[in-house]
Amino acid sequence: MNTNTSTFKASGVSITGLHKSYGDNEVLKGIDLEVKPGEVVCLIGPSGSGKSTLLRCVNILEQPNAGTIHVGGFEATDPEVDLDKMRRTVGMVFQQFNLFPHLTVTQNCTVAQTKVLKRPAAEAKEIAHKNLTRVGLGDFGERYPDELSGGQQQRVAIARALSMDPTLMLFDEPTSALDPETVGEVLSIMRSLAKGGMTMLVVTHEMSFAKEVADRVVFMDGGVVVEEGRAKDVIGNPQQTRTQDFLKRVLDPTHVEISD
Amino acid sequence: MAMTTRQRARLSKTIQIVVFVAVILLLLFSLDWEKARYAFFSFEKLGPMFPDLIIIGLRNTLFYTVISFAFGLVLGLLLALMKMASFAPYRWFATGFIEFFRGIPAILVLLAFGFGIPQAFGTSWPQPVNVMLALGLVSSAYIAETLRAGLQAVPKGQTEAARSLGMPAWRAMVTIVIPQAFKIVLPPMTNEVILLTKDTSLAFILGASIAQYEMTKFGRDGITAIDAGLTPLVMAGLLYLIITIPLSLVARKFESRSARTKR
Ligand SMILES: Nc1ncnc2c1ncn2[C@@H]1O[C@H](COP(=O)(O)OP(=O)(O)O)[C@@H](O)[C@H]1O
Ligand SMILES: [Mg+2]
Repeated sequence: MNTNTSTFKASGVSITGLHKSYGDNEVLKGIDLEVKPGEVVCLIGPSGSGKSTLLRCVNILEQPNAGTIHVGGFEATDPEVDLDKMRRTVGMVFQQFNLFPHLTVTQNCTVAQTKVLKRPAAEAKEIAHKNLTRVGLGDFGERYPDELSGGQQQRVAIARALSMDPTLMLFDEPTSALDPETVGEVLSIMRSLAKGGMTMLVVTHEMSFAKEVADRVVFMDGGVVVEEGRAKDVIGNPQQTRTQDFLKRVLDPTHVEISD
Repeated sequence: MAMTTRQRARLSKTIQIVVFVAVILLLLFSLDWEKARYAFFSFEKLGPMFPDLIIIGLRNTLFYTVISFAFGLVLGLLLALMKMASFAPYRWFATGFIEFFRGIPAILVLLAFGFGIPQAFGTSWPQPVNVMLALGLVSSAYIAETLRAGLQAVPKGQTEAARSLGMPAWRAMVTIVIPQAFKIVLPPMTNEVILLTKDTSLAFILGASIAQYEMTKFGRDGITAIDAGLTPLVMAGLLYLIITIPLSLVARKFESRSARTKR
């Protein structure tokens, strides 16, 4: 939400006419999407619909074939853009955490600060500790990632991203690889980030989270945006049949329609 | 007379042991003990080989191994990166280079450096340089493949996480990927060092001054200089084992350690 109490500097995202293909397989077929500064947008849709690809195009982990993407003051799709500089402002949280296993929790949060932002070691450590405390892991700095539970690892991954002072956070199914009992701890941190005014683009299957936290929900299927709007409208009262079918399946997994 | 599976297994094991023991006994009885002792174990006659075998031979073996490995490692890393490069000619070059040097005997490369390549450049290099270049080139081909496998064993998500934190490609490689690949390649790399240690023995074919002899050359000269049969070679062999067995143990330790931490 746009509030004047926000604790984060926030930037927006603006995507127009985005196309992405892998060989003959067109995965994104002209996506238009706007995320305003401080807004939380949840991307939902069946698996294979192109949600991850869309997210990965935003910070050019995948190179789009056509279209323009603006992130804060950067035009991500400009061939001349300084991608490294742009990516510093975009935090990304992966389904598989992707923590650096050879580094301690603290080092995971300081390595890019010192090597990329050239912050002095002491300052970087302080910022890492502040963010680890924010995710409830202030005492875990000396551990290695493989000594933590999945939920704890994902919280470290969030702290690592926050330590770069991002103005936008991308989440790609951050709770899909977690044991059910640790999903809540990650979602509650994301909730507090949203409250703090962070711009967030979140791919998720957690419908109650989307309903509660998202300003807007975007439903994708087959590489296009099928429906978007306020969370309670899209999830509570979907207009398109594809959205209705998807939500039926997600909200009631025992309800399976077998078509011929 | 039907046998159970277990009885049959026990019978087959018994037969194996009987045959094995019989072969050993046959060899022991057909051996001329007096001649064998003279040919292989006349250690008391090796006095003249010392201390040069150690302070020159062992030292040079280690020296040639270290400089060849250092050169091979640098070149091997370069080749590994070229082989993974997006620029196709780099990949072609690296592939050609690696296949060539893996496919020919090391001794041919060594001979080429001993008797031709320096002259082709209009100079002559000291023998250690020839050994380093020849064995370094050969080992770089193997090292490149080992390193490439190690670098590619680091999950792609590691690079993606590093890049999404704003690290340039080289920084992600140096700070995130290479340290993890290093742990993966330690055991096979130790084996490369063992192979290289043994390959330095080929240096004996290049004529050299005594100060440049390594252990095999000492052993070979000992055969003619000392009346002790092959005992000088046995001695050299034992010294190789003193180098290679500890390396082997170290490699095994790395292997079990990385097996434990990789969950
Ligand atoms: N690196 C890739 N190479 C080829 N095809 C890919 C690649 N990544 C994704 N795809 C394809 O793109 C489609 C969309 O994938 P993805 O964006 O991961 O969907 P979602 O995240 O919605 O499940 C899938 O059909 C997938 O097979
Ligand atoms: Mg996905």
